[in-house]
Amino acid sequence: MLCQQCQQREAVVRLTIMENNQTRGVFLCKECAEKNQEVSFVFNPAIVPEFLQALFGFNPSSIEQPSEKTCPKCGISFSSITQAGKLGCSRCYETFETQLEPLLRRVHGGGQNVGKVPARLGGAIKSRMEQRKLKEKLQSLIQQEAFEEAAVVRDQIRQIEQAQGGVTHDE
Amino acid sequence: MMSKELLLKHSAWMTETDSPVVISSRVRLARNLEDFPFPHVLNSEGAAQVEQKVSQVLLNIQIEGEQLEYISLTDLNNIEHQVLIEKHLISPSLGGSKGARGVALANDHRYAVMVNEEDHIRVQVLLPGNQLLETHRLATELDDALEAKLDFAYRESQGYLTACPTNVGTGLRASVMVHLPGLVMMKQVQQVLGALAQLGLAVRGLYGEGSQAFGHIFQVSNQITLGKSEEDILTHLEAVTGQIIEHELQARELLRRQIPMQLEDKVWRARGTLQNARIISSEDAMHLLSHDRLGTDMGLLPKIKDGFASLIVDTRPGCLQYILDRELNTSQRDVERAKMIRERTAL
Repeated sequence: MLCQQCQQREAVVRLTIMENNQTRGVFLCKECAEKNQEVSFVFNPAIVPEFLQALFGFNPSSIEQPSEKTCPKCGISFSSITQAGKLGCSRCYETFETQLEPLLRRVHGGGQNVGKVPARLGGAIKSRMEQRKLKEKLQSLIQQEAFEEAAVVRDQIRQIEQAQGGVTHDE
Repeated sequence: MMSKELLLKHSAWMTETDSPVVISSRVRLARNLEDFPFPHVLNSEGAAQVEQKVSQVLLNIQIEGEQLEYISLTDLNNIEHQVLIEKHLISPSLGGSKGARGVALANDHRYAVMVNEEDHIRVQVLLPGNQLLETHRLATELDDALEAKLDFAYRESQGYLTACPTNVGTGLRASVMVHLPGLVMMKQVQQVLGALAQLGLAVRGLYGEGSQAFGHIFQVSNQITLGKSEEDILTHLEAVTGQIIEHELQARELLRRQIPMQLEDKVWRARGTLQNARIISSEDAMHLLSHDRLGTDMGLLPKIKDGFASLIVDTRPGCLQYILDRELNTSQRDVERAKMIRERTAL
């Protein structure tokens, strides 16, 4: 398709223009799109599902395989998840753990959860997380040869381990 | 309180602050009930149950000495949905969807908890100026109060579980709304904001996903929600915001040094048009108000009595019709908008 502004070069981007709460799309070439700095931060919501499908590695031919595994809680299959770009319920995270793992790595960089812990689950999870964070800190301190500080962190880890009844939770 | 009265209240985030670049700070936490499928696969009965359960808890919470009011969106008309969207209290997708869903609001709109959006619960806190940490503190306080009464979906390895895997982990999306006319005029905005993607941050225009940067207003938010603590996410965004402020102020100084007369002319022209025009479109209004705000920030124009953010929001099509309490077509709106702006930009 040709650029709708210069009518010369091939259009490579679609700009969404909002006027009076109506949106319309204009297809532009790279040069014309760049000419106007103020409209260059345009984001088309219509591409979101496509984008998510791509992240999930969605393949249209994978839909509706009768033997496909489904989530025991909500009954959704992994191909419906990739199509919608959304999981069906909290249990899906467990059901499709293996399939989701590469996607979560692409989106978030592969880290484990280190955020807030619900108070009702509290204690055990929190101390395991604390331990994980301290172990990472210990490693980096050792690498930096900051041995005095490392010793302090090591003692903190031991304290947590003792509080857990001497059981270590290695990764 | 009637929902009309509540909707027309001044939203705290629109209050003018000393911050010359950051208009407001927002924190959103995505949470889901353990026992229900996510909203997009819930049937209407299930959605009604979630709404009932969550709204009851929300109505019984005391937060910072205040009680929230719950508004079911099925009780509101299209213009009222638009008002909530324009005031940033609900997302366009919540306004546009169907079924049992709603929002719990504080009197000054600093809390706006969406129910049955993409996730069952989206706690939002919006404050004026640059105060991400305080915004997050308030959101956490509300989250704790909800968590005492509701079982949220959570796994040790993946944190809070959300419908879309882009929110899993902390469920935290922190954002700042920044006004960057200097960088836009110096043609540096792409250079500065373009680098943010590499830092794990996203940039959007003022009106949410899918809108462009009208009025030189951008929203910057974190993208990564898993593998980082809330503290790390907020500190990172705060540091980057500091950089953006610095770049914007430098750009403004360059404008002042390089093209002082053109700059002065631009802001005075904007003020002149705002105070005298008889017809102004919504986009024109945002553009002119942006130049006017730049002028007052740089001490080139005397301050007007009304705030920048509230003028921009109140003159949007939905808010304008709601304030005037009648339906208006586009050309009628442009006339009424010009009138409202003339009144509110009087010195």
